Order: sequence, then C-alpha cells, then structure tokens
Amino acid sequence: MRSLYVRSFGSKLIWGLVSSFVIVVCVGLTAQTEDTRMEIQTKNWEGRGIENGAVIFANNCATCHGQQGQGLQGIAPALNSRYFFTRRLEDVGQDGVMTLSNYVYLTVAAGRPSKDNSQWVNRMVPWSSQFGGPLRGDQVVDVVAYVMNFEETALQQTASEDPFQPFLDVSKPPEFQNIGISADAEWTPVQLAVTSVLPMGDRDPDYLFGALACSGCHDLNEPQAPSSMGESGPNFGTIHELGTYRPEAAADPAAYIKESIMSPDAFRVADYDDAMPDDFANRMTEEEIDRLVQWLLDPDRVTHARDAEGNIIEE
Amino acid sequence: MSVQSPAPQKKPWFLALLSALDGIFVYLTAGISTGEFRAMLRGDAPGRPNTRLTPHADAFLLHIKPSYYHESVTRFTHTFRLGLLSTYLFLFETITGIILMIWYAPSPERAYVDMIRLLSNVPFGQLMRDLHRIGAELMVGIVTLHMVRTYLTGSYKPPREFTWLTGVLLLVMTLFLSFSGYLLPWDQLAFWAVTIGTSMAEAVPPAFVGEIINLLARGAPDIGANGLLRFYLLHVLFLPLLLILFFFVHYYKVVLYGISLPAQEEEVGEDTANRVPANRRVYYLPEVLLDEGTFLLAVTAIITAVTVFLFQAPLEHIANPQQTPFHTVAPWYFYWLQGLLKIADKLWAGVIIPGVLLVMLMAIPYLDRNPSRRGADRRVATISGIVAGVLMIILSWMGTPAYAVQGAPALEVVEKLMPEEKVGISRKIGYNHIPFGTYDTREPITTDDAEFAKLLHEFVHLLEVWEEKAPDFNDPWGLLTVTQDQANLKHLRWEITWLSNEGTEEYFKQDYWLHKDSYYWEQYGRKKFGVPEFLEMQNGG
Ligand code: HEM
Repeated sequence: MRSLYVRSFGSKLIWGLVSSFVIVVCVGLTAQTEDTRMEIQTKNWEGRGIENGAVIFANNCATCHGQQGQGLQGIAPALNSRYFFTRRLEDVGQDGVMTLSNYVYLTVAAGRPSKDNSQWVNRMVPWSSQFGGPLRGDQVVDVVAYVMNFEETALQQTASEDPFQPFLDVSKPPEFQNIGISADAEWTPVQLAVTSVLPMGDRDPDYLFGALACSGCHDLNEPQAPSSMGESGPNFGTIHELGTYRPEAAADPAAYIKESIMSPDAFRVADYDDAMPDDFANRMTEEEIDRLVQWLLDPDRVTHARDAEGNIIEE
Repeated sequence: MSVQSPAPQKKPWFLALLSALDGIFVYLTAGISTGEFRAMLRGDAPGRPNTRLTPHADAFLLHIKPSYYHESVTRFTHTFRLGLLSTYLFLFETITGIILMIWYAPSPERAYVDMIRLLSNVPFGQLMRDLHRIGAELMVGIVTLHMVRTYLTGSYKPPREFTWLTGVLLLVMTLFLSFSGYLLPWDQLAFWAVTIGTSMAEAVPPAFVGEIINLLARGAPDIGANGLLRFYLLHVLFLPLLLILFFFVHYYKVVLYGISLPAQEEEVGEDTANRVPANRRVYYLPEVLLDEGTFLLAVTAIITAVTVFLFQAPLEHIANPQQTPFHTVAPWYFYWLQGLLKIADKLWAGVIIPGVLLVMLMAIPYLDRNPSRRGADRRVATISGIVAGVLMIILSWMGTPAYAVQGAPALEVVEKLMPEEKVGISRKIGYNHIPFGTYDTREPITTDDAEFAKLLHEFVHLLEVWEEKAPDFNDPWGLLTVTQDQANLKHLRWEITWLSNEGTEEYFKQDYWLHKDSYYWEQYGRKKFGVPEFLEMQNGG
C-alpha cells in the first residue's frame, strides 16, 4: 500500500477545513454588509434612472420645458417650479387622490388629451408607447424620475425665482401665499398670452426668438433636410442657405422669411397643423421683425444667455 | 441491505442502543458500519470481503461511480479533475440558477427591472447573480480545458471514440447554454450580442432556410418578447435536460472503459484501463471520494472568494433596439467567430467554417489512425492541436474591438473618457471630483483637483493621439462643460472641434449626466469592502 498514491487523510482534512473556512468567511463578510450594499445599490439604480431620464428629457422634452425645467412662455409650463411641487396637485383636484409623481407619470404617458382650449401652442402628446407615443415604459419611468428630481431646487425657490406661469385650467385664482403671489393678483387670460418682459420696440432678435416662443417649435441648430424638416416646425440650422433649398425663397430670402412671420399661411411646405400663431405682426414692430429676419439669415448669429428680466448675463 | 450482526442475548441497554444506532448508520450509508467507517478514517486497508463496495451496489448515486480506480489515474496531474469539475459546475449552475429564477420573469417589461431589484432588494441577490455568472464563464473554460486534456493524452482513441463524440456535443451544449443565458438580463450587452449571434443563423443557405432558422430563434424578425421567452426556455429547460442526457451517455462510457492510463504504462495499441491489478487499486470509498470532495470544496472556496472580492457581473443600460452600442461584442468564447466575421462574409464565417470545424472535431478519433497515445509518437497531432489553439487565440483577439474597428476619432476620444456603457475615467473619479466650469484643451490646466487634472490631461493626450492616428482629424481641440441641471446631477458636455482634410471645421458633441449616487460598482476591483462611501455607511455614517 505504501507505493500507492493516496494523499494522507490529514492533508485532505486540512484542505477541506481551510476551504470551508474561506467559504464561511466570504459568505459571512457578505452577510454582514448586505444591508449597506442593498441601500447603496438602491440609490445607485435610482441615480442611474435619473441619468437616463436626463437624456430622454434632453431629447424629447427640453425644447418645450427647458432642460432646467424652466418652461417656455406659451409653449410649456415650468417643472422646476415651487408652484408645481407645492400646489399643482391641489389645483387640478388630485390632491390626496394620487401622488405628484403619479400625476407626472400619467401626464407623460398619456399626454393631455382633454384640454382642448389650452393656453399652450401645442398640446402635449402621449409619450408612452402604450398610448402610441415614442417612449417605452421604462423610459417613461426614468423621465418621470428626472422630473421629480427637480423637487429639491424647486422648493428652494423664492416667489420671484419661480418660473411659474399661471395655468388657464385652474378655475379660480389659487391662493398663492405659500409661493408669495397674492390672491388678488390679476387673473385674466390676457396675462397668459405669450408676451415678453421687455417693452416692444427695441428688443434684440435673439431675445425675441426665445421670448415669443419661436424656439419652442423651431430648432436653431438642426439642419433642414427633406427627410427631417423639423419636429414641430421647420428647422433653422441651415436657414442662411434657404434660397438653395426653397425655390420660392431663392429671389429674396429675407422677404420670404418676413412674409412667413407676418402671415404663416403665406407659404406652405409641410403640414404642421396651423401651429404657428398668426399674430406676430401685432407683437413686434416692423423694425424688430426686420432685425429678426437678418439675424436668422446670419450664419454666425449669437444667442445670449439672459436672466428672467431679459437682460444679457455677462459671462 | 441487511444488518449482519446477530443480536446477542441479554445486552446491556446502552450496547443495544449503540447497535441500533449502528443499524441506522448502515442504513443511511447503504452498507458501511460505524466500525468500518472508523477504519476508513484511520486509513486501514479494506477487509475481506470488502464491505466498502456494498454502497456501490446498493446506492443509486454511487452505482454510477466505479468502486475503485487505477492508482495512476487518481493523480491530480493526469486528469486535473477537469471532467469532474465540469460536472460540478453544471450542478453549481443549476442550484444558483434555480435561486435566481425566483426573482426573474422572462419578459422585456420585467427582466431588466427584475435584475435591478435582485441587486438592490434581495439579500445575497448580487452574490447569487455573480456566482451564477462566474460559474457559467468558468464552465465554458473548464469544459474546453477538459477537451484539451483528453486530446493531449490521446484519450479519444479506441475504444473511447464515442466518449469523445458525446464530449464534443456536450461542449456545444455548454456554449449554447452559456449563450442563451447571456440574453436574459435584457441589457444592451445581452441584446446586441445575441442579435449578432442569431443573425449568423440567417446566413444558412438557401435564403429561406436561414430566414426560418432566424425566425425560430428570435421568435420574430427582431428579438423581442418572444425571443426572450424562447431563450429563457432553452436556458432553463431544454438545454439543461439535453445536457444531462448526454452527460450520462458520456459518463457511462467513461466508466465502461475506465479512465485511460498514462500512455507509458501500457503497450501501444493496448487498453488495460479496466484491468487494474489488486495492488494498484484505489477505492472510491473513502480515498477518491475524499479527494474529489476536498478538491471541489477548494474550488468552491476560490470561486466564492473571487466573486466576493473581485468579480462583478455586468449590467449595462436596458436593451434598446433603437440604439446600436458603440462597440457590440460577443461573449469572449465567441470572439473567434466575431474575428472570422471581420475577414469573411457571414456564410463562411457564420456557417461553413464553424460547421466544418465542428464536424472535424467530432471526427478526430476517426481521422487520427495512429494507434499510439504516447507523446513522442504523436508529434503531428500535438503540434496541429497547438497550432489550432494558437489560431483560435489570434482569431479571438481579432474579434475584440481592438482589431480593425475604429469609430470616428472624436467618438473614440469621448468613449475613452466617458463611455456610453461601463465606467471610464470620468465616472471612476466620480461626481465629487468633477468641478463645475468650462475646460478648454487649448488652455493650461488649472484645476486644484488632482484627479480631475488627470482627466483633463488625458483629454488633451487622447486628442493628440488621434490627431496622429487618424488622417482626417486635424488640429482638434476639446471643450468640457460641467453644469448643474438639477440637484445632485452634473451635466457633462463634451465638445470636440477639428478640421477635415478639406479644411472645413467639424464638430462633435456628446452630453452625459452623472448622478451623485450612481455607484458604478464595476469601477471597484475590491467590490465593496474597500470603498470609503461604503465603509462610512456601514459604520452608520
Ligand atoms: C459538460 C461537459 C462535460 C462533462 C460534464 C464531462 C465529464 C467527464 C468526466 C466526469 C470524465 C471522467 C474523467 C475526467 O475527469 O477527465 C470525462 C472523461 C472524458 N471526457 Fe468528458 N465531459 C464533458 C465534455 C467533454 C468534451 C467537450 C470532450 C471532448 C471533446 C470530452 C471527452 C472526454 C473523454 C475522451 C473522456 C475520457 C478520458 C479518459 O478516459 O482519459 N468530454 N468527461
């Protein structure tokens, strides 16, 4: 028997014991840290959901609601808003019925089919593929997480910092004490129209483009191509070459653009459901319109960052 | 089974109890008495008649195992216990897999969410997932090594041709088993690897047959709910059952012919594996059992330790059929196929070459007519085996993105700094080390944060590297703008501007967001125990 290869029982015992010990230690260490690990993982995946939501928001929502959720006059309400996080649910009669997060979820998923006569230029479409929209269920969940993540900054806003605009669909003037607006503040649809803060007459074209909400439907950077005219209105990324791709404009691009601003029906190139308001001639002086046209035709045009009063923020 | 000791008259009660306990012991061990058991532990030689053989006759599980081995084949370096290890890993995967099934539903709406829930809400959930993943990859490797071992010892030669053939089938099943599991997390990694994999089936001629195979595998023209369900059923039901069946065929043949002896120990052309002289027998009970048991325990310990401290099963973004990732990669054991695809078309790389290889692999015992299993007589076989292995490695290397795939330079640069999947330098240094501001690669780097400075240096460096490497990427400069859109969320905008050869200015932009809490576990080699945030929380901080 001596010559046979048989490792001693003792060495096998040691192997077995050491291995068992290692397994017990590893599993024990894991057990000890599981609670913390799960907590961190939970936050981790919530964080990543918000990151995904930010991408979806940037690609789908930011043109109207602004990437910082500041909203856009006449186009879409502010989401990064103290009013939104503290009062909106009550004003739509859902307080105590659902959470704000569910309200946002429903709105994003199913859109706003019911509000016909709305103060916004376009109605919000359903976004979830469940209702014919472009986003999958998980994408809706993520983008809702992103919207809800505005809460922290929104709650820190003072009344004047809140980019909120009054909603038409609120039947009675809400009591705005908690956000610093007095109950007897004027509450008329006039106030809701798309307006600019600066007085008419001497406004810069890049300011007008944002304040009158042109930017809600026209993208200044995306080029125009036959395959992609633009989502809600024609893209302006290549408008300085307008004459080359729009025969009617070849002779005098500036005149063509001016005519299009003053009466949107003048030229029809694609069906946008008459989305463009036809009262711009009343809301800008002719001089302002001319400068706006020149600015649009300038390939090196600049858009200044501005504060809430419309003043240029110096970098 | 019978208890042989005739009950003596008038025994004291404690002796009667002992003998009753002994009876139970014999009953449970299917024939080993406590006395015999102690003799085994002492290392005594078996008595005559050898009662240690009884369990091999009486117990179902042991009747499959030979009752003794030739001493030479029990040495570790003869088989490296690779066949045993393959079997064990299959069992290991079955157990961890069934546990994972508790928290998993195979539908696109649930699968990925279930993964996240498993990771964040199930105690030991991540450990189970990591164990199952590492076991699967290990099994592919071990089964392959087992094949290499039997090839190098010539163990496929008569009478073991059929053992080899069933072995090849087992290898194929192992690969498919691993691959079918690859889709189940339903992330980008899984989705696109399997999309590429199944698209190869499309190349089967004639066209309508390829189309049908593809349809059958995917359940629709593209992988979706149906495809996921099909892969799930393959993974948890069909392939395991098939593998079990073929395992028993394989192992029956192994026991029938005995494990081949080291070639030097028998004459060329002879097979004496089953004629083991009495003085060279090593009994399964207890020597080999203990050997195998301790070996498997040690392997389990290593797998557990590696999993707990080092290994992390990946989970990328949720599968998005609309967005092809920057690089789609097959699982590593199919890199060689991906390599082939880069130098040949789908029909050759996806169907003809793998098909011929498979048939040749199965036919090796019938092609190799050399009767000798001795290394010295098998130079040609050994060298061709090594050449084939080296070719596989080269092809595999060609299958990685390192070979002959190059995205646009600007994309490559950003992908290094902040990739769409995985960690990259930016996420590695983390939220706190990325200060707000605008950073221009043409300006001197002035940040106080050493880690962030490293990132910016890398930005500059990568632009230089690609300027040299890519012909159409001149005078590039980059801009990184870090802003805050929301609390705890940083917005990183990467912009690169360069001149094309025609002198026109080109521009590339990529936006990413980084949340304070996103933890990107993959970045930590030592998964969690060394991470400061982790320790802080663990200590109630
Ligand atoms: C799931 C996959 C497999 C399992 C579970 C398995 C299992 C086993 C086991 C337990 C043995 C006993 C001897 C040893 O441990 O080496 C064995 C022997 C053998 N296997 Fe496998 N095997 C698998 C795959 C393969 C493959 C891929 C091949 C070759 C293509 C192969 C060829 C052989 C041969 C030829 C023997 C006999 C070795 C000898 O007699 O020396 N097996 N297999």
